[in-house]
Amino acid sequence: MQSVAATHDRTAFAALFGYFAPRVKAFLMRSGLSANMAEEVTQETMLAMWHKASYFDPSRAGVSTWIYAIARNQRIDRLRREQTHTIDRHLDPSDELEPPDSGEDIALVAERDEQVRTALAALSSEQATIVHLSFFADKPHAEIARELGIPLGTVKSRIRLALNRLRSLLGDET
Amino acid sequence: MTINHHPSDATLLRHAAGTLGAGPAVVIAAHLEGCESCRRRISEFESVGGAILEGMPLEPLKTDALARVLERLDLPPSSPRSGSLVTRHHRLVGLELPPSLHHCEIGPWRWLGPGFRWSKVSIPGSSDAKVMLLKGRAGLKLPAHGHGGTEFLQVLSGSLFDERGRYHPGDLDEADIDVDHQPVVGPDSECICLVALEGDTRLHSALGRLLWPFVGF
Repeated sequence: MQSVAATHDRTAFAALFGYFAPRVKAFLMRSGLSANMAEEVTQETMLAMWHKASYFDPSRAGVSTWIYAIARNQRIDRLRREQTHTIDRHLDPSDELEPPDSGEDIALVAERDEQVRTALAALSSEQATIVHLSFFADKPHAEIARELGIPLGTVKSRIRLALNRLRSLLGDET
Repeated sequence: MTINHHPSDATLLRHAAGTLGAGPAVVIAAHLEGCESCRRRISEFESVGGAILEGMPLEPLKTDALARVLERLDLPPSSPRSGSLVTRHHRLVGLELPPSLHHCEIGPWRWLGPGFRWSKVSIPGSSDAKVMLLKGRAGLKLPAHGHGGTEFLQVLSGSLFDERGRYHPGDLDEADIDVDHQPVVGPDSECICLVALEGDTRLHSALGRLLWPFVGF
């Protein structure tokens, strides 16, 4: 990623494309985009990654998290562009210029990504399903109810339990 | 500024996932601007998104996809993010608005009742989003109401209280279908809030009947 940012290295870009583009496309299709639209939004995401490479800040997010955020925003922009040509300002780590990063911050981000992966692996399969569906469904309550075969009224408390568990696994206070 | 009321984890997760509607997302973004602990939660949830992305099965792209993208690398970005679109309307409101609203169109204050006004917030590309600013004079008692779905309310100035707590600038109240309340504006100054209603939410009771003909929700 850094060589894409520093020297606009096309070989490094192609390597990132080879690794991430098929994952981004799968992610977008899972979120409900058609194969064609997912293809286009994936290409836009990779293009945006190139243009924003200089904003990539390893002290704020790992590469996969950063690309995830770009893909999410490209998806939102695409869906809204159907109505107008203006686009929404959504929270996007790639848009924020922050003070220069220190090696210590980078280590913290790597540690956070690692903690998150460990925490996800430690969730029960039902709780992992709840977290996954929250990422992919526009109406997560209804889909979680259907997927788990539980009443809609129970969904909210299950979500709360799952996220509390995630929170405690991540070692956050309160 | 001490913030005592935050969005639920479920809401923050949906914001990080990009699945929250445009209206609620604007209100949550306004909260995040002032709330470091919620920004940290968002970072964690984005990191969850990154982990899920890494774990996705591979969906092959069209064979010429890389070549097409490589061809476009030197072209200027096609759709630059829009900056402040409608700053002139912001002056009418007479309040420094959160940056999350800078791309929105803010309508003039309109009368809803004695000491009670509203202004329509329009989000480009999301004409069905139900977002508004509400302004009430000090001590104003709002009509008691329930909610057909979740209401997100961020206090921008002044204060507000109801049976569940007291809300100051920076606080965000999430009131869902279980909540029936009668908010009252704090006695010291007028209160301005940014409010979004989720999906096809309507407010029950007199407040709904008051807002419906004007606001359309």
